[in-house]
Amino acid sequence: MNKFTDKDILLEIRDLKIDGYSHAEETWIPIIKGVNLTLHRGEVMGLIGESGAGKSTIGAAAMGYARDGTRISDGSIEFDGMELTTASESDRRALRGSRIAYVAQSAAASFNPAHKIIDQHTEAPVHYRIQKRLEAQEDAMQLYERLRLPNPQEIGFRYPHQVSGGQLQRAMTAMAMACRPDLIIFDEPTTALDVTTQIEVLAAIRDIVDQFNTAAIYITHDLAVVAQMADTIKVLLKGEEVEEAPTEMMLDNPQEEYTKSLWAVRSFKRPQKARPKDGTLPVISVQNVDAAYTGGVKVLDDVSFDIYPGMTVAVVGESGSGKSTTARVITGLLPPSKGQVLFKGDPLPARYQDRTRDQLRQAQMIYQMADTALNPKVRINEIIGRPAQFYSGLKGQALKQRVDELLDLIELDPVKFYNRYPPELSGGQKQRIGIARALAAEPEFIICDEVTSALDQLVAEGILKLLDRLQQELGLAYMFITHDLATVRSIADEVVVMQHGKVVEQGPKDEMFTPPHHPYTDLLLSSVPEMDPNWLTTLLEERGVDNVGEAADV
Amino acid sequence: MANFLTSGGFVVGYYAALIAASCIAAYYNNRKAFMLLFSLTLVSFVLGIVGGVPALRGVTIFAGLLALAAGTSYAFKEFLIQISSPGIAKELRTAPLTASFGMFIIFTYAIAGIFAPWIAPHGEAQVISDAFAPADENMLLGADQLGRDIFSRMVFGARNSVGLALLATLLAFFMGAFAGLMAAVKGGWFDQIMGRVADIIMSVPSLIFALLMLSIFGTNLAVIVVVVAVIYSPRVFRLTRAVAGNVVVMDYIEAAKLRGEGDWYLIRKEILPNSTAPLIAEFGLEFCFVFLLVAGLSFLGLGIQPPTADWGSMVRENATLISFGDMTPLIPAAAIALLTVSVNFVVDWMLFRSSGLKEM
Repeated sequence: MNKFTDKDILLEIRDLKIDGYSHAEETWIPIIKGVNLTLHRGEVMGLIGESGAGKSTIGAAAMGYARDGTRISDGSIEFDGMELTTASESDRRALRGSRIAYVAQSAAASFNPAHKIIDQHTEAPVHYRIQKRLEAQEDAMQLYERLRLPNPQEIGFRYPHQVSGGQLQRAMTAMAMACRPDLIIFDEPTTALDVTTQIEVLAAIRDIVDQFNTAAIYITHDLAVVAQMADTIKVLLKGEEVEEAPTEMMLDNPQEEYTKSLWAVRSFKRPQKARPKDGTLPVISVQNVDAAYTGGVKVLDDVSFDIYPGMTVAVVGESGSGKSTTARVITGLLPPSKGQVLFKGDPLPARYQDRTRDQLRQAQMIYQMADTALNPKVRINEIIGRPAQFYSGLKGQALKQRVDELLDLIELDPVKFYNRYPPELSGGQKQRIGIARALAAEPEFIICDEVTSALDQLVAEGILKLLDRLQQELGLAYMFITHDLATVRSIADEVVVMQHGKVVEQGPKDEMFTPPHHPYTDLLLSSVPEMDPNWLTTLLEERGVDNVGEAADV
Repeated sequence: MANFLTSGGFVVGYYAALIAASCIAAYYNNRKAFMLLFSLTLVSFVLGIVGGVPALRGVTIFAGLLALAAGTSYAFKEFLIQISSPGIAKELRTAPLTASFGMFIIFTYAIAGIFAPWIAPHGEAQVISDAFAPADENMLLGADQLGRDIFSRMVFGARNSVGLALLATLLAFFMGAFAGLMAAVKGGWFDQIMGRVADIIMSVPSLIFALLMLSIFGTNLAVIVVVVAVIYSPRVFRLTRAVAGNVVVMDYIEAAKLRGEGDWYLIRKEILPNSTAPLIAEFGLEFCFVFLLVAGLSFLGLGIQPPTADWGSMVRENATLISFGDMTPLIPAAAIALLTVSVNFVVDWMLFRSSGLKEM
């Protein structure tokens, strides 16, 4: 079937069943319903699926570990001839770190901020008496060099907050390599990173896994990423396997309906609109805005762009480029130090406290994290009803009707959702409630701050379609903040590219996506992973090995 | 001889029961129970040699009391589960025995305090016999230094001491929590001023501060309540501000602010529902401190004034008896200790729940 033979089997999971404890029902409910998995030495397997599909749970189970609130109820996990389900806790612990390593999604949250990176790196080899501390440090520096971290001799002696996110993620990969494990589990290692940073981490991970012939389980929800990394891909849905095949076969010819739908997600595209030519004033016009946080350096430098009624303007850039700060200036949370924001030609007061109710009503926000954007202790009807009550003074029956109307608009059943609390909803449903709350104010302009980046692709597509439909029905203007260029391709009319607090390029989408580009736009565009399994290899050849990501400064 | 036989029989029965229980525990593979019972057996050998039969009897009585308390707590918990609504009943089921024991004790004290005039056989200040008269069929615990019934005064004391402490804690809470929430929402100079005021109050030792204030303003109940509340409100302020500080950075607060909501709406609807759990736990803890401070003040003669019954002053009034080896002054002290421990049991459970440290 492929280049691996049965002799080299490293990990074999047979009919694995895992239960999770439900506090609501006070019983154990199955979350993994019989999954088989065979991993050979040196093989990289990609596990993909939506959130809740059980990817991370299987990843943890491969270490013989049941996460809090879960238990392995049935099946066998055999790692290199050792049965993990029956092994004692101390035996299993001896494997972890030395023979099986784990790389978490957020390196920033996984490193202890109180210790230097290299001290955390050498902990495992010293603990398992594989190397003496100094040898381990030497080895760490070599690994840093292989992972192309800048200043490999010195970087380990910094604290985690002193290096960038992408560097930290590579340092964590190096740490996983410290004992030369047979198996590494990567749990969404690049999900939290910018596209440009993602590339260097992907390249580093792929190289090091190749060099040491390490087997890996690569968990992600991003198909294009897994296409670059994996030899085989396994698709999961709700705790069950959908299908498994070698990467190329899986990409070219998926068998199951669900897999096909996953592959097709990025196909949503709506016609591009042009600016109105009859002299309509822009809804929002940002004019020469400079802004800084108290006492700090300038975060925004001479930012100007216009948003016309009924249009979607995508603001793209890496984290720290000033996208969200621009939104804060528009909403009045951060008064600009220079320049102004016009609403239909009239300047808006700089501070939100000075704005009238009507001015506040016109600019609504939808947030990235629906979890923190909705008060967990307030019922849905109140979350949505409050803006309607606050701005329009609706009461009693009229208010209830308005809430029902809004719930209908976002395609949620009013009867079912009217009295529920946010924690009872799924991520996509929460995001829809966030949209309804913005709509309840009847605004003309909505700021969407990374609204889809925390969602699964299928759910995200649903949200994008909803936003598009609402725009057509209600004539809304969107400012769409994102770092995901696929989203930009599908829904934007105009694109504003930001870097280091400046607008580097702006214009209609079709112009922006056809060459010639500004070099930074080019870097952003070429960094978006494509479904082609050879994309990363080709890209690295084009850019040159030492010239990836942040090294390629423009 | 007969005495020897009964005590001999007791000792044999004692060991037989312990060993039988250990064997049963071992048979049913209950490792913890077995280890406990069998180590108790081994310890009892030493105890029996050193302390003789009385020591063994002491152990038996202690174990019996423990079992009684556990049984009462269990029954009380089941009772509460039966009478409460399904939502609360579900929470109650997670309560450990210590918590339900605490709830039982608090419940008992509340009954004693509320129905004091009907429960107490004699009046609070009624002199019915000689000073320091021993217990008889008329007086359950004997008489105090003026010939008043100690049991009646204990019952009334529950009303006065606990009621006063509760009042002071509530006041401390309203002041502290309100200031803390306002500081978190307003921020800036308001936050700074409130914080420094709290620092100043906290930097003065609480007992000395209370004594000073009480000697300036005189010792009436209102002054005691206000002084104690002022002393303890900074702790509440700091906790509330910290908890609310974590909530105000949430996006939903930003959304409400951008909507143009006022501070009062933010506090009432958005922040308070998300910070009640730690505040309730803190309430229990504060109550203990306040209670002890009030008792301490009474002991020093600056708290509740005679002839009003109060546990703190009862300890002081009967303190001379200690030199005669009489237990009487320790009874109100034990009542204070029992309540404090009980409240802490309940608070521990609440803290455990609100901290999210859920065991599987």
